[in-house]
Amino acid sequence: MSASLVAVDYSRPIQPLLQQEPRVATIHSVFHRAVNIALDDTMLALLSSELPCMPNSVRLSPIASERLSGSLHAGMEVLIGNASLRIPARDFSLHLPQTPPWEPRPDITAYRWSRETVTRHVRLLAHYLADQPQQGGLAPLIRPLLLGQPAPETPLSRMALPALRMLARASWRQDSAGVAEATGRLAGLGPGLTPSGDDALAGFAAVMVLFSPQLSAGTISRDVIAATIARVARPRTTALSAVLLAHASRGEIAEHMGKLLLKLALPAEASTAVLHAAERVLSFGAYSGSDTLLGTLLALRALEGDID
Amino acid sequence: MVLQALLKRNTYYDSIALMSVAQAVKDLPGVEDVGAVMATEINCELLQNSDLLPVAFLAEQQAPPGPEDLLIVVRAANEAQAQAALAAAEQRLTSRGDRGSAGGGAMLPIRSLEMALKRDETANLALISVAGEHAWLEAEQALRHGLHVFLFSDNVSIEQEQRLKALAAKNGLLLMGPDCGTAIINGVGLGFSNVVPRGSIGIVGASGTGMQQLICLVATAGMGISQAIGTGGRDLSEAIGGIMMRSSLALLANDPQTEVIVLVSKPPAARVAQEILAAAQLTKPVVIVFLGTSSERFAAAAGKAHLAHTLTGGAELAVSLAGGDRTRVPGEGALHKYDLAAQRAKLASSQHYIRALYSGGTLCDEAMLLLSEQVGAVTSNIPLHPQWALATGETFRGHTALDLGSDEFTRGRPHPMIDPTLRLQYLERAAQDSETAVILLDIVLGFCAQSHPASVYAPAIAQARASAAAAGRTLPVVISLCGTEGDPQRLSMQRKALEAAGVIVFESNLAAARAAASFVEK
Repeated sequence: MSASLVAVDYSRPIQPLLQQEPRVATIHSVFHRAVNIALDDTMLALLSSELPCMPNSVRLSPIASERLSGSLHAGMEVLIGNASLRIPARDFSLHLPQTPPWEPRPDITAYRWSRETVTRHVRLLAHYLADQPQQGGLAPLIRPLLLGQPAPETPLSRMALPALRMLARASWRQDSAGVAEATGRLAGLGPGLTPSGDDALAGFAAVMVLFSPQLSAGTISRDVIAATIARVARPRTTALSAVLLAHASRGEIAEHMGKLLLKLALPAEASTAVLHAAERVLSFGAYSGSDTLLGTLLALRALEGDID
Repeated sequence: MVLQALLKRNTYYDSIALMSVAQAVKDLPGVEDVGAVMATEINCELLQNSDLLPVAFLAEQQAPPGPEDLLIVVRAANEAQAQAALAAAEQRLTSRGDRGSAGGGAMLPIRSLEMALKRDETANLALISVAGEHAWLEAEQALRHGLHVFLFSDNVSIEQEQRLKALAAKNGLLLMGPDCGTAIINGVGLGFSNVVPRGSIGIVGASGTGMQQLICLVATAGMGISQAIGTGGRDLSEAIGGIMMRSSLALLANDPQTEVIVLVSKPPAARVAQEILAAAQLTKPVVIVFLGTSSERFAAAAGKAHLAHTLTGGAELAVSLAGGDRTRVPGEGALHKYDLAAQRAKLASSQHYIRALYSGGTLCDEAMLLLSEQVGAVTSNIPLHPQWALATGETFRGHTALDLGSDEFTRGRPHPMIDPTLRLQYLERAAQDSETAVILLDIVLGFCAQSHPASVYAPAIAQARASAAAAGRTLPVVISLCGTEGDPQRLSMQRKALEAAGVIVFESNLAAARAAASFVEK
């Protein structure tokens, strides 16, 4: 595949990687519409523009993405730098567009927030998640965690439920040791390339760093909790998952997740818009969307006070 | 009881692939449980807690597995069954196109008919969903390869459709489409379809949601479907001449599993209708639902064929002819479940009109026919008569029924069966209009449709009703809910959630239309 293309868009956090002197990276994994490229301790994702923007993504047109992924395999060399990405073995180069990068950290401070309204949205979304007809991963645990209802007993739920409770409790109390212990029990847990426990942790960490100044009682920042989650999880899970957790701990999240969080600023009557945004989150992956939503809702609840 | 495992180093599959493989392997004979996870430390603990940790297997490995390795474990009744299950898992994973592996090139996704046929030479049907201008070419290639075609794409010209159907008929193949939304072939649903048992009733339809309504009503009555063949909406036009309906009819006539045949279409061209009726003089009973035409119009030519006026009527006839109990079809009998008169008595003096917001074109057509019989003119974007057409920029005029799935509403946005955004806006407008007496909607469940429609519509309707109440009006909302208990959305769950929001729910579109009419008829 000989081609020189301009990307559709790219995410702000990967800008420094592309602007430095050229360095050698390696293709980590190849999927239909995604190619992951490992460089040092991070990972850059070449995505089809059919997929939502991710904090580490450069997106290509769907046709270019399909042709590219069909010609690559893991372990191939990639040169990254000088505002471009080159794959010498395929005579392929990708250049950044002249447009500003996409910002994966939603601008929470641009909105007016009401604790009462967010609490009502959280309750609505908890019921919505609980009512999903086909459930796997950790989503069924929304019932015992936020709705006071029982959940099916499985080996996964028996391991995850106490850890999620501990995470929420320790976060509210700003108990870093408790957060670390809970993270150790969740990181890398469950099905998926980004295991369910990691997706829940990512949603949780992002809320802690984005919302604690606005919504936690006493407006205490809980950035340290998000950083602890990313640090403890890193050696315990897949490389891809660890990278996404690191982004989440800086408030950098996927496009559809950011849209949902901003919808929580809408009045309580705008439930349809909130549910519609949540539906898009749930459509992501087999369980990734619902697991991330579970972690997000748990974190928002934890900012209200002790879950006990 | 034995445990066997497979470890794939530095190998990545997306979560949907892993989930579907685990589910498929779990269904194999002798398999008790399956684990397919990235081999993190905590997932090994999870496997241990699930009695799935392959201790001996892991001890044999030169290096312990880590987070970048995929571990698949099977617990089965004996060694042979466990081995067969693992082999099946590996085969399924390597035959999928969604692998990301550090061990070699990713398997190329199938991007052409030739590639697909190379992968599986036994394939005999192609489902084509590409941009309209290319669709006819793909369809022609598939027909020339000897494949039946389900052509989901629209924007295929009438001339191209004529040529494709002539080619299909010449080769004894089906060309379902263009713009064909629904079919169930040998128990496999294509496009928008519902989960129904297999049985003895075969359906041929030039109408997607019309077929879905028939299929669901038949299933609710405890009967099953042998085949459901879509023909595309223009098949019974003068230009096409019903080529596919006649071919499909002949196929079902010779199908030993099919005992009763149902044909469904919007009003056909007169000459074509006569030809279809002539072809329907079979030894097997044939039920014909030509919506929008009175039974009297074709009574003379009907011969042995049974004519029905509505989809519900067609389902009742088919169930009865197939030896089932027609009273189990949820028809007008369900009207007694609600005290509609009491609700009507609460309407304010300004509330005069029905506002119907449909996603299914045929269901909208049927509702308009039934409503116009009871309440007179019904304006629409797909009017029954030219003088009932809505003017440009006009949203509602008198009794109004909108087909929000028609081209002018779906250009550049998803169909309302998938994305409710547009319909929710119209719902809000209808609720705000002080002349609205009742709102009538359809919700179609099944594959490809919205994953949990009640979770969006129930709160929106509750809000609309609350707004109307604040303005001193009660606002009845009637829903025609088309689906089955086996559908991914589960019929009963959707019904329960909608009824909890005060919605009047019927599974028959006929009953829903009659209920809506009862609020305003003189």
